[in-house]
Amino acid sequence: MSEIAIGIDLGTSNSCVAVLRDGTVEVEVLPNAYGEATTASVVALRADGTITVGNAARANIIHDPAHTISSSKRLIGRYFFSEEVKKAQAICSYQIVEGPNHSVRIEVREEVFSLPEIGAMILRELKSIAESRLNEPVTKAVITVPANFNDNQRQATKDAGQIAGIEVLRILNEPTAAALSYGFGKGLAQTVAIYDLGGGTFDISVLQIADDVFEVLSTCGDTFLGGDDFDDRLIDLLADEFLERENINLRNDPFALEKLKVAAESAKQALSVKDEVEIRIPDVISAADGGSSLSIERTLSREEFSRLVNDLIQRTFKVCDEALQQADLVTRDLDGVILVGGPTKLPMIREAVEHYFGKPPKDDVDPDQVVALGAAIHAATLVDNEHNAFLLDITPLSLKIGVAGGLAETVIERNTPVPIEQTRTFTTFQDDQESVAIRVYQGEARESEGNELLGQFEFSGFKKARRGQVPIDVTFEINADGIVNVTARDPESGQQASTSITLSSGLSDGEIRNIIEERRSDRVQLNSELVPADAEALGAVRLVSQPVTSIPETKEALAESTPAPAADPPTASVEPSDEGIASVTPQDPGITTDPEPPTDDLESDDEDFATKVDRFEEELELLPDETLEPLEMAAADDVTAIMNDDDLLAMSRGPDLDPENPATQTSKTDAEPEADPDLFEDVGTDLTTLDGGGSENKD
Amino acid sequence: MSDLAPTEIKALVRIMDELDYYQLMHVKRGVSVRDVKKAYYAVSRTFHPDANRSLESDLRDAVERISKRVTEAYAVLRDPRRRQAYDRQLNENAGVRMQLAAAEAGARKQAQENEGLTPQGRQYFRLANDEIKRQDWRSAERNLATALTFEPNNESFKSMLKEVRKNVKYSPADRR
Repeated sequence: MSEIAIGIDLGTSNSCVAVLRDGTVEVEVLPNAYGEATTASVVALRADGTITVGNAARANIIHDPAHTISSSKRLIGRYFFSEEVKKAQAICSYQIVEGPNHSVRIEVREEVFSLPEIGAMILRELKSIAESRLNEPVTKAVITVPANFNDNQRQATKDAGQIAGIEVLRILNEPTAAALSYGFGKGLAQTVAIYDLGGGTFDISVLQIADDVFEVLSTCGDTFLGGDDFDDRLIDLLADEFLERENINLRNDPFALEKLKVAAESAKQALSVKDEVEIRIPDVISAADGGSSLSIERTLSREEFSRLVNDLIQRTFKVCDEALQQADLVTRDLDGVILVGGPTKLPMIREAVEHYFGKPPKDDVDPDQVVALGAAIHAATLVDNEHNAFLLDITPLSLKIGVAGGLAETVIERNTPVPIEQTRTFTTFQDDQESVAIRVYQGEARESEGNELLGQFEFSGFKKARRGQVPIDVTFEINADGIVNVTARDPESGQQASTSITLSSGLSDGEIRNIIEERRSDRVQLNSELVPADAEALGAVRLVSQPVTSIPETKEALAESTPAPAADPPTASVEPSDEGIASVTPQDPGITTDPEPPTDDLESDDEDFATKVDRFEEELELLPDETLEPLEMAAADDVTAIMNDDDLLAMSRGPDLDPENPATQTSKTDAEPEADPDLFEDVGTDLTTLDGGGSENKD
Repeated sequence: MSDLAPTEIKALVRIMDELDYYQLMHVKRGVSVRDVKKAYYAVSRTFHPDANRSLESDLRDAVERISKRVTEAYAVLRDPRRRQAYDRQLNENAGVRMQLAAAEAGARKQAQENEGLTPQGRQYFRLANDEIKRQDWRSAERNLATALTFEPNNESFKSMLKEVRKNVKYSPADRR
């Protein structure tokens, strides 16, 4: 009997855990203590120090938004200055702060958490769900990530697993997992597209399935497009209408905003089964005079919602076009389309997908579970010799190296199969140069700034010699996990470089050890330890599994479910309404008495943020114009490397340029274009290359 | 799971740098893209890291090195442009390994050369190309010959001129 290994879909909104039991071919989702297939990816930190994860935590958002962390996947592995973090700050009610190396931290009740630590709390919960269902300890898992997650995000997810006490067998792309779930053990010979619209991201992957081989042909994505954006459109509509009518901006009140969010999400879900929903949010906010409370009541039809989000849906098909083009296919070459992600349950999306692909999507797999099921299958194949399925995956993002002029040169193009290793030879740029700095990026932009900086490192210790006389081999490696490794080597001495990439925004091994030793996640009150009675006490946990929702509006019902002031069970309760029309009524434990309305903080944060962006941009500022020569010219420029700063993003200027030595290097290049090594132009951190290989990136 | 013998793995790693991509993938030079894919699947079954998880770590590293080279071979051979550049390198005995950036660069260079490397060469080549479409072989012959005076070493022009001359022989004496 082989060791058990589970599959975990760690989602933006909901997570799911599945297993392929030993000795069977049937893969199954492991439901939580409430019998639900998915568990909300929400972490609530309560006043007494306990931590709740899951649907109970999600219910906590409405009355305690500042201490309830949702959608943390949007932040994992990001830099603090990134667009996505900025966007999250605008919509999240919890405190997002900057950590070391421009990383992101979340501050709750004077405690600061890294994103992997928050992820670990969710993973611990999922692990415990699996353990209680399987009645045995579970230590190994495959965890899925969106296909277009970059290396920083993958590493951070892996770190989360490690903190949660899980040996992460593989970081698997979600669409690939979905394809595995669709095609495993069926002996198919098909080309399929996986349309994966999650809470926060959109991915499309095209795969060829040949019996037990699953080859990913292409993957494209939009990291700024997801089901949450559909909700946001609806929130905006409701907030704008309210602003017009009452002259109160609900967006400025975190409690009102959370109610809008819940109402929008429920309305969206209800529209997947109903043509029309009634949105009711009584007491959304108090009137300006402080006395009466105001409500929202509105009917929303499917058509109206469709119009609201149609451009978002069309945006996904632009990405599909790109993926098909990369795979050198057209829609009629596809044998099937598989939907992944909660939002794909919306009829308007299914219809649009059918229209675009010219065939109805496969509906034999549940979009909420298909990824976890695929992850479980892969986990089983990795621990058990009996199950065979080979995943031939690709890297979804181009791997690049920073060169002069603020550009990034591609070393491994996106959609290249992995594992792969590519070595490029560089050389020193200056006489007696002692060190070189290598900056590694991932992304599709021509300018280095438009790409994700994975990290940078310095290589030194090679012999001192005239410039161009010291070859340095830099090896870029992407393993089967899609995880990047970059090493430098002195081919003459054989001396190996200062290692693989230092993850810029991530945690060091030491930090991970400290987090594990700190055992903060021990405070997680695991749902699987609860008996169903406790579950009931925790309140509205069925928000996810029961899309058609309504909330009791009578005073009796309110009194029943509203907590005593000191206690803090969740307060959104959910019941089907008698008309069968969905309505949503989050309750409010007391907006006016909350001691810390975060609105002001958010604004001041924004200022702070702007300053930081400026500072960062200054740091990144390139050398004076005269150094930004065309590549051939750059070879002749005399620039010094000074890379001794610990701050990864800090950039030091070289000394003034030496205008002499016009074109010795260039003519040498002309003489032997293939053999000429790349050159380090050590302008602080940038390199320049002279081989024909990549100075002109495609598009 | 693959059943590789440790000695096999070690031997293959040792000679890997001497095998060209066709030998590594067990295919012939003129193989179709479809068969390249088939070969990639077959070789991956043996050498993919997932198929060799139970090996000792040094052997696992060796298998992974082979797997990475196989991936590179696949990425070159499945793309006709890159493959053309690679074949050229093999023909010139310039090495059996061609990394992807070099293959791309080679493919681009090849594409450029096909079109002409000088403005005049390109100009006469385009004229000749249009004339070939109209089957005006004599004019095409003249323009290709002119293009070659600007780029005497352009292999693509040379082979095209050879083709055009074959047609000139069989075409009516003078169309004009």
